[in-house]
Amino acid sequence: MSLETEADVEKLEKLIRQLHGLHSEISLLAKKSPNDAVNAFKLKLINKVLQAANEVLGDRYKPFADFSLFEFDDLPSNSDVTVVLTQYIQETEGYRSDNIVYSNSEHAWVYQVNGSPSKIETTPPK
Amino acid sequence: MLIRPRFTDFYGVHIAQNELDFAIPFLNEDIPLYVDPFLLWKSPSYQDKALHQMLLAGFNNLGILVRRGREEEAVEQLMVASECEEVGLGTSQNRQGKRIGAKQALEVLSLFKRIPYYQEHGFRHFEEIQLFVEGIGKDRISDIACNLMKSFLIDYTAQECRELGIALNTIEVAKVYEPGEKKFLPVKTELPVHPETKKPLLLVPKRWLRHTPYINYDDYFREYCPQDDIAHEGEELTCVKVLTYNRDNYGVIDFYVREKERTFEDCKNDPLFTQIPIISARRKLNMIKKLPTGKENGADKAYERAIGELFPSLLYPYLDFAQVQARTDSGVSIRDLIFYSSRNHVFLAELLRDYGSRQITMEMKNVQKIEREHIDQLNRYLTDDLGKFGILITRYPLKNAEFTRTIDLWSGQRKAIIAVTDADIEQMVEVFDSKQRHPLDVIIKKYVEYRRACP
Repeated sequence: MSLETEADVEKLEKLIRQLHGLHSEISLLAKKSPNDAVNAFKLKLINKVLQAANEVLGDRYKPFADFSLFEFDDLPSNSDVTVVLTQYIQETEGYRSDNIVYSNSEHAWVYQVNGSPSKIETTPPK
Repeated sequence: MLIRPRFTDFYGVHIAQNELDFAIPFLNEDIPLYVDPFLLWKSPSYQDKALHQMLLAGFNNLGILVRRGREEEAVEQLMVASECEEVGLGTSQNRQGKRIGAKQALEVLSLFKRIPYYQEHGFRHFEEIQLFVEGIGKDRISDIACNLMKSFLIDYTAQECRELGIALNTIEVAKVYEPGEKKFLPVKTELPVHPETKKPLLLVPKRWLRHTPYINYDDYFREYCPQDDIAHEGEELTCVKVLTYNRDNYGVIDFYVREKERTFEDCKNDPLFTQIPIISARRKLNMIKKLPTGKENGADKAYERAIGELFPSLLYPYLDFAQVQARTDSGVSIRDLIFYSSRNHVFLAELLRDYGSRQITMEMKNVQKIEREHIDQLNRYLTDDLGKFGILITRYPLKNAEFTRTIDLWSGQRKAIIAVTDADIEQMVEVFDSKQRHPLDVIIKKYVEYRRACP
């Protein structure tokens, strides 16, 4: 899986921001009450982000082969969601790391688009 | 065979109490609430206010009859008005009550002669009679109110039943107060009937019900009665002395009634069910978690009591609590929680459709390990009549063999038994507190897990 267009890069960066945003929100709730269930509204939003993540990451980077989205009836708890989001964050970072290079001309880490270094800067691999 | 059958469940209307405008009557016992005429007086609804005026007109007409020398007619009317079996409110265990006697009726009617205010103006709130006549309490006030507005209740009941699709029978109601003629007359009308006794049933709006009327003797005695004036030091202050004092000192009653009118906003109807507070739910959860399994030191009874107090609140409003039922199976005493189911949740509608569960049975087991016989006990109880879905409320998850047994029951007999454990109850209390989801969702989760394991 590689980034083919600049739009793919934008999609990936948006996904990273959303995963981190959700993770910081839900992990706060999980610290307070790990067993509490996530409500339907939040679950819908989380599933939307996971859906986007599954599309971006593909089978190679998708954290769990038998997990794609949360089921409403499974009543996922705050801690369940935190665990899953952590895994997605790590795998997304793996995917990003595999698609960035250090550009000597730019003196910065940049995304590789269609196999070639682009001018879109990014942070070093974590 | 339903446990503690309600009117609606019998007629196949599975709607939870909180969604209905009326209090669902039981078929074999009364609802322990009463119509408080003060709620009609204070209601913002013109209809309720008009009904209160109608009540007063009917009651004060008794005074007019007395003044015109038609005391016998007034006694007869008051006796008829004193009991209203059709509404099923009160504490009777068999929906039957007794009317007051002629002597007590005369005592009530004497107020129109003895107290100048009533002689001149009549009553503003006829509940005041509780403050003058011994033996007149909330049940009588409620029944008199229901009887004097029975023609409205007949229309209301018929309308509600039509909306719910409950069959109406053409029936004669013996004594219906006709405000035009100012007397009780037989009326042929359409009403639902009790399935066994074939007597007519009347429905009452929830918003008129209280445990005690806002104007009542105990409140008066506690807060407004000049007790020192009635009984001197060392003398016993009896109810009769207070009532006699009231008759001779109407000014005190007048002040009390004016105060009650002034504070009308404090008068609220009582709900048929009140959930326990969150803090209390947490306390019960902690208590359950600390309880040892088994029967030592009454741990099983304490467990059943705590679950019995917790679950009706957790599952409200989707499941209305019916009762705790004790039964015996093969010499073993079993305690179940029985809930009325409803169609107001897609899951409960599914249980009704797939398992015929008009009521949900939950068997409590404070044991270390659920054995095969425990599952069999519940299984034997899950019949076509009661529905084929049951819940074991227990401490720990089922072991593989017992879980497989529950799966086999589904495979062979299409019966479902799920286990709700301490961990699930903890999550139920958690969501009860946070309101992020409903505790019923935990039961659904358990059922979904169970069904995924079924072939």
